[in-house]
Amino acid sequence: MKLYEAEVFGRERFGEHILIRYRWEGEPPKPGQFVMARATIQDLNPFLSRPLFAHDYDKGVASLLFKVRGAGTALLAQESAGILVTAPGGRGYTFEESDRPVALVGGGVWVSPLKLLSRRLTLSGVAHDVYLEVPATAPKAYAAWISENYPHAILVETNGSQQASCPILDCLGDLARYSAVYASGPTEMLDAVRIASAGKVSAQLALRERMACANGSCFGCAIPVWRFGARTYARACTEGPVFPAETLAW
Amino acid sequence: MVASRATDTTVNLEVDLCGIELTTPLIPAAGTLAKEALGETVDAYGAVLPKTVTYFPRVGNPPPRLAEAPSGMVNSIGLQNPGLERFLKGLDDYNMGIPIFVSIAADTIDEFAEMCERLAEDKRVAAVELNLSCPNVEHGGLSFCSSPRTVTEVVAACRVALPNKPLFAKLPNEGVLANSVSAEEAGVDALTLINTIPALVVDPRERRVFLHGGLSGPAIKPIALRAVYEVSRVVEVPVTGCGGVTSGTDLAEFMLAGAKAVQVGAGSFVREPKKILEEFAFYLKENGLRAKDLTGFL
Repeated sequence: MKLYEAEVFGRERFGEHILIRYRWEGEPPKPGQFVMARATIQDLNPFLSRPLFAHDYDKGVASLLFKVRGAGTALLAQESAGILVTAPGGRGYTFEESDRPVALVGGGVWVSPLKLLSRRLTLSGVAHDVYLEVPATAPKAYAAWISENYPHAILVETNGSQQASCPILDCLGDLARYSAVYASGPTEMLDAVRIASAGKVSAQLALRERMACANGSCFGCAIPVWRFGARTYARACTEGPVFPAETLAW
Repeated sequence: MVASRATDTTVNLEVDLCGIELTTPLIPAAGTLAKEALGETVDAYGAVLPKTVTYFPRVGNPPPRLAEAPSGMVNSIGLQNPGLERFLKGLDDYNMGIPIFVSIAADTIDEFAEMCERLAEDKRVAAVELNLSCPNVEHGGLSFCSSPRTVTEVVAACRVALPNKPLFAKLPNEGVLANSVSAEEAGVDALTLINTIPALVVDPRERRVFLHGGLSGPAIKPIALRAVYEVSRVVEVPVTGCGGVTSGTDLAEFMLAGAKAVQVGAGSFVREPKKILEEFAFYLKENGLRAKDLTGFL
């Protein structure tokens, strides 16, 4: 795995969420792509790098948004730590010409790839509505940051627990008015989007899975998919992490 | 064709493994180098070794397949692969101008032998590595390495089926000495030591087993070194070391302990194989040595 030491411009904290901005002069990330990241002080314990969605990119400055969940992300969050990152990888969201708007749907830390996607759609002149789940228990700093960074987003408050219904889908209403739905969220939300979109609208879902090699070698990031009528596993790192909803064999 | 090397050209990195000249002693461990990633490794490896293939396609295990471990990782992939015939159709994709070794696994001894027969006739294949950590369905699912007797049986059958190419056996740490001796007596040309170590990861929050798989990474390096050191003192055939290599000095340590060549697996997920080789070349230069001088120095 080729890792590059990146110049960090700063870290911002929004509750448990951390945003790192760093210089990136390589190939710019595409919406839905990811990088593997580790702190320079990480050494070999924890061993693996962390896969993080490319959050945003503009004029040579890339950013990552993540939540501290374990030792690897805790080290990445440390104020003084340098970072090592790979070039952006994987298959991101794909786009089709249409005169209808598209919907972006996200929640929690999974809102990350939607920022770059929204930027790309705006540049291309594609009208898009953004729907984001915000847990009622989220720190105020995070909710404020979401409002600031997605100023036109419709924010849907959730109670933070697994719910029988998917409140964000209730807000979306009739999906057929959109030409596509681009989602990134917890599995329950993605599955609800997958079911609701079936036969109505094309949906693309950004999945999070543990990764080791991040280049297709180890087959560790298995995602169940349908292929030629049979259930098999695709690699999130090279065949995803964004998958067409209808291909997922959940 | 021998690929040019980016590392210091004044350092001699060449080694001989069963009559196969390797431009460097570094080899990818099975299951850690996909064809999509070959470009990143140009000049680093002395041979290519794709993911273990089985006779019939395998879908692999359901996720999760990976977990962190202290200084390592646990994996349980389940040998996901397209099956031997489809694998061979795509084998040209692995052509980097260096020897191609093919790792195979099977459910039965006959299946192992049948695969060896097929590979014997394929000129692109320089050598075959038997992954003997897989379950033997004829013996209640116990590993082929659960006893030296089954190691003898499978190696002997493969030896007959593959008379014209080097045959390697990749063995786990458990019973490594007795199994290595059995493999040598049955006609293997080289041993690869060791495979991942059986391990368990528990999820305390959900109070369940999270993953039952194989531990790799720096955590197992001292165990692998011990296996290489002890086995290479009692067998005549060359040993390829494998287990926890992440640096050039790790590579040197394995060769000093008795390895002729060294596989890097999980280490290539966190460091570039090219960097590992550069460090190794620096070590050799600093000490005025050639790669081949190191083997069995201890």
